[in-house]
Amino acid sequence: MDRLQEIRFVLNGKEASYTGSAADRLLDVLREQFRCTGVKCGCREGECGACAVLIDGLLRNSCCVAMGAVEGTSIVTIEGYRETARFAVLDRAFAQLSAVQCGFCTPGMILAAEALLSAHPHPTEEEIREGLSGNLCRCTGYNAIVNAVKSAAEEGEGLW
Amino acid sequence: MVNTSGGYSAFSLQEALELRASQDVIPYAGGTDLMVGKHRDADYLFLSRVPELRQITEDAGYVRIGAAVTFSEALASPLVPQLMKEAVSGIAAPAIRNAGTFGGNLANGSPKADSVLVEVASDAKLRLVSRSGERTMDVDGFCLGRGRTALRSDELIAEVLMPKQSPDCCFYEKVGGRSALAISRVSFAGIFDTQDGRISNIAAAFGAVADTVLRFRQIEAMLIGRTIEEARALRDSYVAAYAEQLVLTRGRVSAEYRRAVCLNLLNAFLSQCGL
Repeated sequence: MDRLQEIRFVLNGKEASYTGSAADRLLDVLREQFRCTGVKCGCREGECGACAVLIDGLLRNSCCVAMGAVEGTSIVTIEGYRETARFAVLDRAFAQLSAVQCGFCTPGMILAAEALLSAHPHPTEEEIREGLSGNLCRCTGYNAIVNAVKSAAEEGEGLW
Repeated sequence: MVNTSGGYSAFSLQEALELRASQDVIPYAGGTDLMVGKHRDADYLFLSRVPELRQITEDAGYVRIGAAVTFSEALASPLVPQLMKEAVSGIAAPAIRNAGTFGGNLANGSPKADSVLVEVASDAKLRLVSRSGERTMDVDGFCLGRGRTALRSDELIAEVLMPKQSPDCCFYEKVGGRSALAISRVSFAGIFDTQDGRISNIAAAFGAVADTVLRFRQIEAMLIGRTIEEARALRDSYVAAYAEQLVLTRGRVSAEYRRAVCLNLLNAFLSQCGL
């Protein structure tokens, strides 16, 4: 029950620690201390999904996570995920189907797609839309993104 | 560098209760509401690693949902009642459901809390614990107003006790601006049950329309003990009683609109019950 001294966690596969306030936002710490600028700040209130990361494999909005809550967890941001074979499949599908325009929502979309495909390797369109429902895109109108995730699920057969 | 601010982490309920009683802390479970209206000067008491608060269990009378159980965990549990799952599956989006908790939804003190609506309709109880003991109270009595609850400053919510029931009919509807990431404009939960041909329960709860979830037990009493035939004959006066009682606060949408939606949902519930 000690006061938190140092917050230890794993970031993109590497041991990390934070000595600032336990009340600080994970979003700010990832961007400012760890330079993970692929984690975007859109709304700062859990409404847009641009800051989504995976914490112990679960999709979370990093703007709504205090540092004290990440002690002992494993966090994956787009910077870590981009090293994976699964990312390569999503990357290709998003490019081929023009699922990226300005790109601001894309890191969150990709990680939401990863969380979805981990749970449903062969998702229906409805499941894809539900899986991405917390991620706002103001450019593409969503259909291209939904199609890209569907295509990635097919092209990446066996990876998820 | 040693951190001197921001919070404490508890690894057992006993530790959490010691800290709650001895320090000025804000209990932090999922953080989805706390981090939006951030309390910069306060210390958080992080509860997500307290095992006693993370379980879903059952006994003869209740399904017991720990206060730090997330909505996603509840959706994956075979124990959680279907009506609750229906409400919880409509909360925000996956990333929020992976974080938001039952205890947080209650302690936040919002009349728009979707899980609280179902708890009020279901006659759920809460087990509140402190270093000096524990007490059990109705969810209905816990919620006092916007941001106000009956939780004492040395207490934590331990679990929600959902009565085990298999009613004839359950009804849930949430009206929001869109399907995902929407705060309820009006929400409604209804539970209907009969025994030996007579109505034994007809609970109707309205969310997001006043300072707390609304439920009118004196109106429900009009139909308790009646046969279906008798209840059908009373339906119009029953609905009229609600129309009179539903005095709604103004919100982002007009009180008139929300009152009309409340009555439409009540009528849809009654029709689904065969009344």
